[in-house]
Amino acid sequence: MTLALGLFVVLVGAVAQTAILPAFSIFGVQPSLLLVILVAWMAARGRRESLVLIPVAGFVQGLLDSQPLGLAMLAMAPLTVMTDVRERRFVESDLLTAVVLTVLATLVYEGIILLTLAVRGEQLEWLASVLDVLVPTAIANVLLLLPVYGAIRLASVDLRRRSAF
Amino acid sequence: MHVRTRTWLSFVVLASALFLLGSRFAVFDPLEGAVQATAQPIESGLRDATRPVADFVNNLTDINRLTNDNRGLREENERLVTELSRLREADRDLQQLEQLINLRGVREGESFTAADVVASEPNNLQDVIAINRGESDGIAEDMIVLTEQGSLVGTVLRVLEHTAWVTVITDQTSAVSAMVQESRVQGVVVGSADGTLTMEFVEETADVKAGDFILTSGVGGRHPAGELIGQVVQVERTAQELFQEVQVQPLADLARLERVIVLDSFLPQEPGAP
Repeated sequence: MTLALGLFVVLVGAVAQTAILPAFSIFGVQPSLLLVILVAWMAARGRRESLVLIPVAGFVQGLLDSQPLGLAMLAMAPLTVMTDVRERRFVESDLLTAVVLTVLATLVYEGIILLTLAVRGEQLEWLASVLDVLVPTAIANVLLLLPVYGAIRLASVDLRRRSAF
Repeated sequence: MHVRTRTWLSFVVLASALFLLGSRFAVFDPLEGAVQATAQPIESGLRDATRPVADFVNNLTDINRLTNDNRGLREENERLVTELSRLREADRDLQQLEQLINLRGVREGESFTAADVVASEPNNLQDVIAINRGESDGIAEDMIVLTEQGSLVGTVLRVLEHTAWVTVITDQTSAVSAMVQESRVQGVVVGSADGTLTMEFVEETADVKAGDFILTSGVGGRHPAGELIGQVVQVERTAQELFQEVQVQPLADLARLERVIVLDSFLPQEPGAP
């Protein structure tokens, strides 16, 4: 049931990412809603569901963006490793873990896209890409994480209560 | 690393590699085309529905009416400036009769396809937009895209059945051969990671000043000559540098495009073609 809900959220997130998010810019960049959903889901719900949602999210985003199919999935693949970090519980707070993982996931995701562009022979401004794009995107994603994490956490508690009855 | 995680990571990376390999041979283009065609109405609906909210959020200090007025005035200004630049071009054409055949000062004989902007590339490293016209509408790669008012938006990057992706001129991989309308000084207008436009390779002694209009020069054959790109906002001259740094501002708000036109009568020259 929760996995089905997760898949639905990912689907809506992917469409919203390409259709709505470009109109909402924070620090001149658009937050990566799908990435934030995955990290928030990981922090609130754990590894099991996240391991399924990560490739699905990558696949769906790949179908909707301009990149070759598989690139978004590849860029999201390191998130599977991050599910381990969450399971180890270095800190008690799930939210703090989510914040750290969001920054990490953003840098890795956008970094892989950047590397792919470089491999394809595109002329890139490396320093500007990091300072003007990667860092602001990481901050924007952390800001978006707070409401998304809150919503997933609330829904998760509600679902647990319902299944208890 | 947990065994399960390692196995899963290997599976995801392998699946990605297979998809990427398939994409190289356009195996998944029909699937992507079908999904994007299905998603298009939803994306358009969502964009339309959330536009007022986006306007409000992005203009917190402003009210909606002023935003709309501003947009209207900006479009009107862009249309008038485009018209003015065309008139100047036409005037120049008349003065240079021997070049008349090679210059395009008017729009007659050109054909366009209008399209709605339905989506944008999710990552922030690329400035790429999706339009709701594709191969079935006669759109092809490298075609030129303009705003409704006629200034340059970008170039068609990828075409699917009913969708096309357009690289906007502000993208950091974009480079357009350009010239200053008044002085005819040539250079290359390039995008950047932060979405600004710069005209490069403008000689240190060249006559360029704020307010000058920048047009496509047509050099290289990738763009038709005489399309309006933007206006010079700042010129920086450094004594030791060979070239000036010319900051250019597009006339349209390229981050908030709703409708564009694809110039389908212009076919870019292949690199190396005479």
